Amino acid sequence: MEAAPVLELRGITKQFPGVLANDHIDFDLRRGEVHALLGENGAGKSTLMSILYGLYTADSGEIRMNGKPVTISSPKHAIELGIGMVHQHFMLIPVMTVTENIVLAQEPTYAGVLLDYDAAAKRVRDLSDSFGLAVDPNARIQAITVGQQQRVEILKALYRGAEILILDEPTAVLTPQEAQELFEIINELKSQGKSIVFISHKLNEVLEIADRISVLRRGKLIETIPREGATEAGLARSMVGREVLLRVEKRPSQPGEPLLQVEDVVVRDDRGLEAVRGVSFEVRAGEIVGIAGVDGNGQTELIDSLTGLRHPVSGSIRIGGEELSRASAREALDAGLGHIPEDRQRRGLVLDFNLAENLVLHDYGKEPFSKLGWVNPRRWFRWARGRLQEFDVRGGGPTTRAGSLSGGNQQKVVIAREVSRNPSVLIAAQPTRGLDVGAIEFVHRRLVEQRDAGKAVLLVSLELEEIVSLSDRILVLYEGRIVAEFPPDVSEEEIGIAMIGGRRSEAA
Amino acid sequence: MSEAATPPPTLESDPESYAPSVAKRLAFYQSAGGIVTPFLTAVFAFLMGGIVVAATGHNPATVYKAIFEGAGLNWFFHFGNYHIDVPFTNHHVWFWWNTNTNTTPAYNLTQTLLTTTPLILTGLAVAFAFRCGLFNIGGQGQYLMGAIVGVYVGSRFVDMAHIPHVLLAITLAALAGAFWGAIAGFLKATVGAHEVITTIMLNWIAYWGGSYLFGRDGPLQNHVDKSIPISDDIAPGAKLSAIWGNPALQALHSGIFFAIAALIVFYIILNRTTLGYEVRAVGFNPEAARYGGISVGRNFIVAMAISGLFAGLAGGLDILGWQFRLGVLDVQVSNIGFIGIAVALLGRNTAVGVGLSALLFGALLTGTSTRSLDPSVFPPQLAGNLALMIQALVLLFVGADLLIIYIWRARRKLRLPGARPKAAEEPA
Amino acid sequence: MSSAGYIGTRAHPPSPAAAGRVGVGIGLAAFIVALPPFHANTLWIPLFVGLIAIAVGIWVLSRGARRPGWTAIGFGLVGILLGILATRANVGNLDQVVVWGALLSATLVWATPLTFAAIGGMFCERSGVVNIGLEGMMLAGAFFAALGADKFGNWEMGIVTAAIAGGAFAAVHAVMAINLRADQVVSGTAINFLALGVTGYFFIDIYGENGTPGDLPRIPDVNVGFLGSVFGHLNVMIWVSFLLLIVAHITLFRTPIGLRIRSVGEHPRAADTVGISVYGTRYAAVILSGMLAALGGAYLSIGYLGSFSENMTAGRGFIALAAVIFGNWRPFGAFAAALLFGGSTALSFRLQQPWPAPSVLFQALPYVLTLIAVAGVIGRATPPASAGRPYVKQ
Repeated sequence: MEAAPVLELRGITKQFPGVLANDHIDFDLRRGEVHALLGENGAGKSTLMSILYGLYTADSGEIRMNGKPVTISSPKHAIELGIGMVHQHFMLIPVMTVTENIVLAQEPTYAGVLLDYDAAAKRVRDLSDSFGLAVDPNARIQAITVGQQQRVEILKALYRGAEILILDEPTAVLTPQEAQELFEIINELKSQGKSIVFISHKLNEVLEIADRISVLRRGKLIETIPREGATEAGLARSMVGREVLLRVEKRPSQPGEPLLQVEDVVVRDDRGLEAVRGVSFEVRAGEIVGIAGVDGNGQTELIDSLTGLRHPVSGSIRIGGEELSRASAREALDAGLGHIPEDRQRRGLVLDFNLAENLVLHDYGKEPFSKLGWVNPRRWFRWARGRLQEFDVRGGGPTTRAGSLSGGNQQKVVIAREVSRNPSVLIAAQPTRGLDVGAIEFVHRRLVEQRDAGKAVLLVSLELEEIVSLSDRILVLYEGRIVAEFPPDVSEEEIGIAMIGGRRSEAA
Repeated sequence: MSEAATPPPTLESDPESYAPSVAKRLAFYQSAGGIVTPFLTAVFAFLMGGIVVAATGHNPATVYKAIFEGAGLNWFFHFGNYHIDVPFTNHHVWFWWNTNTNTTPAYNLTQTLLTTTPLILTGLAVAFAFRCGLFNIGGQGQYLMGAIVGVYVGSRFVDMAHIPHVLLAITLAALAGAFWGAIAGFLKATVGAHEVITTIMLNWIAYWGGSYLFGRDGPLQNHVDKSIPISDDIAPGAKLSAIWGNPALQALHSGIFFAIAALIVFYIILNRTTLGYEVRAVGFNPEAARYGGISVGRNFIVAMAISGLFAGLAGGLDILGWQFRLGVLDVQVSNIGFIGIAVALLGRNTAVGVGLSALLFGALLTGTSTRSLDPSVFPPQLAGNLALMIQALVLLFVGADLLIIYIWRARRKLRLPGARPKAAEEPA
Repeated sequence: MSSAGYIGTRAHPPSPAAAGRVGVGIGLAAFIVALPPFHANTLWIPLFVGLIAIAVGIWVLSRGARRPGWTAIGFGLVGILLGILATRANVGNLDQVVVWGALLSATLVWATPLTFAAIGGMFCERSGVVNIGLEGMMLAGAFFAALGADKFGNWEMGIVTAAIAGGAFAAVHAVMAINLRADQVVSGTAINFLALGVTGYFFIDIYGENGTPGDLPRIPDVNVGFLGSVFGHLNVMIWVSFLLLIVAHITLFRTPIGLRIRSVGEHPRAADTVGISVYGTRYAAVILSGMLAALGGAYLSIGYLGSFSENMTAGRGFIALAAVIFGNWRPFGAFAAALLFGGSTALSFRLQQPWPAPSVLFQALPYVLTLIAVAGVIGRATPPASAGRPYVKQ
């Protein structure tokens, strides 16, 4: 339906130290439509929306609502104007109830002094009924599922009278069924006249739910097109700016002995629930096995159990024939395991250590790095210089603080450390998250190199293209179980179906 | 080259749940400013102290001069032709200062060094824990445990030879402090109890424990006079030898060598051993250390134990060096462990820093004490409180490290590479 | 699990937490049964009663409520120990020590400064700012109450002066912790030193050798004869502390203000995005805590003792902090802890006559109990989620 734009942004520009986050961006939103904002990490989507929500002020440009120019000075102001934001990382207070979170700062009261809890609960129930957002008003946030928490976030915005809803990467934390439920909710909101900005970097979702799509790349608006006629390949090209390489050059694999054997492993997560439910697989020397799956299906817990950071409840894990399910992290590393963790800054590196100190993070206690507890830093520096050169790490030398390197170079340091130890099994978790294209190609090349050198490589990633292009065998993890195994030439559609449990058209 | 900003840590993923560690901030702090910032901090603190003095009708310049002289630092400024005797011989060598402690400056200086000795150790105690990311406020309790064990071992075993007796006493004293510290480390490692709270509680338990032990009818009360709540004197053979001054008038004892040795040991452990590497890794990033195979819990315990070891040693040395006995009043009035916090923070948790900072605070405390300060210039009781205020100001300014750094940076207009404070927004 | 913020009670079978509290009471009973007027004289009686407490505790544990369960067991054990000790004590001595009326009023007296400071500290920490400096703020209140009462001639001005002083010290802590994002523990420790130095300095400067005047205006008692010997002659401040307790509980759990304070302490960014001023809320909470702690100190100097001496608070601010933690950051919990700690202080003084040495150990009891509580033997104490973490506004 054609209608006057309820929101217009013209020429929005925002500069941060060293980077132009938004470069003269135009964006408009019509009543009752879903307008998707598409772009890679770092393209400027969140900045633009933060400006709209009053968290930042644009350096230049204009915002109009229903034709009238406005300046949005704070989130409070944005709320008053009818803009509601559902953040990627929920702004919910875990120990408080759903109702308390929703009415916070606009609480109904008795005589202006006491909290009128019953009135609040009633309002929440009314809202949730009229929009089809089922929640239990008395439940604590920490006790409800992520999908329900998201509904609470949406209710929060609606309670404050939002006519425009900004959803920032809403499906990043949802299971496939929950994502489908969200789409139904979005359609319901549309039919009641709400306008929605849908921020994402997932092409297939955007094509499913959006009426119009705007693509951002490196701070600039590339195009704004209607959904009809948009293709995945075309959008991908706009997002990245060139033909996307979907395949890495590699020789066919020649697998040998199984070096990593996992049998019937069961692992519990932090809440005591079973996250991995009897997983069995093996990785042979000279092959890359990729584990695909939506985030939250047990990947983290599985990796933790393999690397000795979390003990499985039952099952066996063998590295090179050695039983290691009860091993500590140190024992697993000593047994020939290499681990590229998924968060290089929090788990992979000690940012305040220099590069040499980081490079010896596992083996500082062994010769030649130390003797009987005694350490000679100079020896470290010499060895580190060699490694840094070999892995083309730029931005500093052995004495440079790790925190001052760029993300790509930091990841190179992590890889240099793991690979130089000559592990027999290498586990890479999200190895290219947040990296630019050059760094991604470097990482992929190294992983293939390791596989060609006879190592067993286990790749766990949320990026399907990465899995498909690198793996010799693909396993799909769904709700803690391996539900499928595919060869690398499988179609993305088939993997996608397996990733959501094989029930594409059913909403659970 | 565009990059994703790391998403803000969710509350669950952040292991620090109550009063986070200072180690991270101090790491950044260390890379930005070197010796300038501690110097500036001290200057500001003294300046503000001077303002208080002026506001109450005294002259800050004369007061500070009197404190300076009370600390004996003017001893360095009286040159002349003097000599020192070479030990074990009858010769003497020329020396440009008068080491005879019959003069007031020399005597005051011995007292300053006497106070510096335990301050170095309690400062090291706090500093070592900080390097592991732990805030050890328990230096006072660990010091007391060392003093208690020191006075007990020192007063028993009267027939032991001098050196073994001394070594036994200070070893056990240090171990007592280590044990006291390890309790907090153990609780943190096993159940995650925050060390700020546990060490504060342990301080007071030691305080009242000591009051009980040496009080009226207490189990360790002295046998000579039951009306005085004090311990037995230590055996003459357990007293540390005096190296400067008259033992009858509280001379500087050989404990200072232990303190200086401790500074060196501190440096060596942290920078030349695998233990020190682990401690520093855990202090900077416990998550990454865990992923690297380091046992975080074990390091917490060891770091707190070593921390307590230093403080306990301080207690033992004080008893064997000049106190010779411990009374309930001593237990209750002592606060050398708390001053160690300011010493460590001002000294940026490094060996050199702690050493210099301990000297500064030792001078301040001695210079304002009843014995050394000239009462006609400034009443010593007031001066004692002035010293407390200056310590507080040092702590405040150290705590506001960001402020000092911003001031310094604004003046220099320097942009340090990579050292961006966490406050800077990263584009998404 | 922290049960903070649980509004809207529903009827259900006795929860493990309630049973735990009963167990604690039975454990205390094991001790009390050996005291006058019950005078149990064989050790089996406290043993028996204490075992019931332990049994209740085990039952509670089996229901999954760790903290109440272990607390009941802990109290059962302590009750047995103290009860057995008491049975071996001379009956005459016990009668001298345990005069319930005097003990109870002494408990209220010693608990009151703790209550004020603990409630203040609770609000402060609930908003996300750790306050180690309660001791210093209390001391400042004690001194400036005496000063104000002396110079202005009445106790009301003494209280006002104390509140202003406490607020001022708290403001320093607030600026450091909130705007300058300093480490809050360091800042709190600095406040303690600062207060010690400032009060000592001005005390000597103004009052010198003689100390505060003997005729310092005192906060009066409230004489309500018909309430009996214990409650009939309580000081005004003690009644105020009861009132404060109720007001604090209602404010924190049943008003929008309390909800917002708690939200700032749990998830400041979430609060910010709905328009709550994080800085403003925290400033208010910190300064309030300073004022309340100062009032606690004022009660000490011009309410109970009638004079000021250097460092007269002697660590009570830390006991108050322990009470906040032991009471799980809730007003009635902190008050219960304050009563317990005040009681052990009162008991310690009364024990001095027959047993001078061990009475000192009772002074250590609050710290031991808090250590056990924090150590998680009695379950992990869960502070507000963002306590101690400075908030960075965009």
